[in-house]
Amino acid sequence: MKKILEIKDLIKSFGRKGYESRVLRGISMDIYEKDFIAIMGPSGAGKSTLLNLLSTLDKPTGGQIVLDGEDVTKAGNKRLSLIRRDKIGFIFQDYNLLDNMTLQDNIALPLSLNGEKSQVVLEKVRHMSRLFQLEAHLNKYPYQLSGGQKQRGASARALITEPKIIFADEPTGALDSRSSRELLSSLRTANDSGQATILMVTHDAYTASYAKQVYFLADGLIQCRLNKKGDRKQFYEEILELLVSMGGVGE
Amino acid sequence: MSLFRLACSNFKRSIREYASLIISLAFSVFIFFNFQNVVYSDSMDVLKNMKKSYIDMIVQAASVVFGVFLFFFIWYATNIFLNQRKKEIGIYTFMGLDNTKIGRLYALEALFISIFSVVSGLLTGIGFSKLFQMLLFKLSDIQADIQFSVSLRPIFITAVLFLSIFGLMIWKGYRTIVKSSVLQLLSGARQKEMKHEAAALTAVKVCVGIGVLAAGYVCALSTGRLSSLNYGVAAVVLVIAGTYLLFGGAIPWFIRRLTKNKRFLYQKERNLWVNNLAYRIRQNYRTYAMVTILMICSVTVLGTAIALRQRYEKMIHFQETYTFQVLAQKDDVDEGQISAGIEKDNKIRYKNHLSYLGLNAEMFHTRFENTVYGLVSYSQIKQAAEDAGLKFDYAEPAKDEAIELTHIILMSLVDENEEEYMHIGEDTYKITARDSTAYLGDLQNSMGAYIVNDDVYETYKPFGQEMYLYNYKIEDSESAGASVPFVKSLRELQPESIVGCNMVLPENAEDTWIKILYSLCIFMFVTFLLASGSIIFIKLNNDAYEDRERYGILKKMGISAYSLGRAVKQEIRFTYYCPFVLMTVTSWFAIKALGNVMKEELFLVNIYSAAAILAVFTLIYMISVKVFKKKVLD
Repeated sequence: MKKILEIKDLIKSFGRKGYESRVLRGISMDIYEKDFIAIMGPSGAGKSTLLNLLSTLDKPTGGQIVLDGEDVTKAGNKRLSLIRRDKIGFIFQDYNLLDNMTLQDNIALPLSLNGEKSQVVLEKVRHMSRLFQLEAHLNKYPYQLSGGQKQRGASARALITEPKIIFADEPTGALDSRSSRELLSSLRTANDSGQATILMVTHDAYTASYAKQVYFLADGLIQCRLNKKGDRKQFYEEILELLVSMGGVGE
Repeated sequence: MSLFRLACSNFKRSIREYASLIISLAFSVFIFFNFQNVVYSDSMDVLKNMKKSYIDMIVQAASVVFGVFLFFFIWYATNIFLNQRKKEIGIYTFMGLDNTKIGRLYALEALFISIFSVVSGLLTGIGFSKLFQMLLFKLSDIQADIQFSVSLRPIFITAVLFLSIFGLMIWKGYRTIVKSSVLQLLSGARQKEMKHEAAALTAVKVCVGIGVLAAGYVCALSTGRLSSLNYGVAAVVLVIAGTYLLFGGAIPWFIRRLTKNKRFLYQKERNLWVNNLAYRIRQNYRTYAMVTILMICSVTVLGTAIALRQRYEKMIHFQETYTFQVLAQKDDVDEGQISAGIEKDNKIRYKNHLSYLGLNAEMFHTRFENTVYGLVSYSQIKQAAEDAGLKFDYAEPAKDEAIELTHIILMSLVDENEEEYMHIGEDTYKITARDSTAYLGDLQNSMGAYIVNDDVYETYKPFGQEMYLYNYKIEDSESAGASVPFVKSLRELQPESIVGCNMVLPENAEDTWIKILYSLCIFMFVTFLLASGSIIFIKLNNDAYEDRERYGILKKMGISAYSLGRAVKQEIRFTYYCPFVLMTVTSWFAIKALGNVMKEELFLVNIYSAAAILAVFTLIYMISVKVFKKKVLD
């Protein structure tokens, strides 16, 4: 399997010299094609910081991030912008759909901005809307959609450019349980069909149970890793057991 | 922090954010003050012999027009500040302020802005009043010494007018804030943005908008005679309504259609900026309509000024065909004596003479009772024209034909004579042509004349009084005054023959008011133009604040600053050039109507004013793009 993302001794500190606060203390991990990884941890563990670094929105204090064979820690702003456009997809907690365009136009946006032919864009939008069960909602504006529909739309937008990896930051954070289930099922389907490699940050064990691997982050370090062996329910229970043994997510 | 201090802090922020609007307001104060200074200041006493009363009347009329513009401009400016307050209501509510206090905060801030605009406008107005007057005189080709002088009256009138309008608008805004619920203020604007319009209503707006505007254009083309002046009024009303409906109906509909055409939309940045336009135009259509109408007004004002000036110059040219005209009742005038006398002090460029047969008024059957009518023979006119170097391409009229000689006036609400025939006694003559060349010189202004066949002229001789006209044009009209005493003495030199003299000396200073009007219209044109540009600029500035979040999301998604910059550019280009294009089309009709009324060809006015507006708008557009990009992309 091809290695998509390689993280070596990643360090991130905030604050001036002498008054630094080290959030990430040396993270190392490899992500391969078709992986579906969840990162869990308590508040302040460094999950969002890690995601911002991996998605090139921030620069690390030390260490290396190699995305699709390219060291992004050494790339300039213009190159990073291209990398974000071509190789990375984002799913945010608050959807971040543009409220002045329809769901169809939102999903099509990254592809049309890339200069893809309009016919190709239309076909891909149709395909994504089928994958995320959004065909009936394409002509609606975000304010006319439920939270789940919006998040599925945002996921479709993230996947339409066929990025190497999707970064999801608390994708179910603003959703009710049913919408969460629908979204996570769609993401799992996309991952199973080989269309997405996903790295998801979450504090919710149920959400994490949809992944194939769960990394536990605490005090800026990866404490342990859990691989899915059986079905999702079993994996969910394993996650809960591990959390209990670690003293809980929020504590 | 007290309310006063908060208002002061907001005011300081407002100056930075709304600099262009405040500058436009201050500039309007500057212009209005200087208009009033023309009327009341001692420094304009140099115009005493130039019919200053006319000038004062013109200035006051221009001030009224300006005042109407100011009313709407200040209304717009105070609305901008009011809407800004509405958006910040949530913050103030959490700070513990109720509606009354928030209303007072808004009123205080708006008051500071108004006082700042008025004071800065007045100070610059006073400081540059002499420069303004010099510029006014320069544009008006008036040679006069100006002294710096400012009186209290223009300051008082300007301050009272501006502060009254501001006060009224501020009070209106205060009442709006106090009477609204917090929830209404917080969510009201957003609800309007998202509401979808019923298809039937849209269809009505589109059809009515296009129809009304087209009707306005038809009325404009029909304007031209006194009897059709109503068309002019109708054109103004219909064009204003049509423009408003076009921006509220047809244009948003068209843009929405574009968003539905995905093959068109999904091309590069179009998805972004066309959707943004479709979304924005619902909020901003009133602004676009207002800017378009303001620009049409500015072009029309300029057109009026230029038309008047063109007519005036033609009038002067007409009058100055001959410098001296000697009228005699007998054909035995010693022409040599006259020429020699004039040539003592001035060189004669050309001269001619001809006879004019004045007939009894009862013989002519015309609309005008008190005008003197007469005849001139074809061969005499032809010779006189040749001697004077005037164009004369007519063939000799037949025995039942005539050519009417007319004259040029500045402006007339009376329909021109378009009758095909004229009647002398029992005889009827077909009018084959009308010509306003001054073959008879300045005297053609005060009497009607027809060129007739030589035989016809001879036929009527027994029925009228033949007068003999001796015309002289000197080389240098500035030195014409030197020959005046001689010309005046001609009646004494040849008392049996010469009955009177007409002298046309260098441009009558009493008509200077026409040039002043022209200059005032130029200033108004500039003010309206600046106001239009600043209104759109401020609107875009406000939109930039709302778009920051949107562009932040796009940057996070990995959309490059280059793509976003291109999208910004396209959107802003539409914002400036859509009103400009509509203005250009509409102003063509407006100028055409004006040309019909003024009997002037004003096509070039249209071109030049559109070019001036395009240049200014392009400059403001480029600054807008830069500022917008800085706000949303940095």
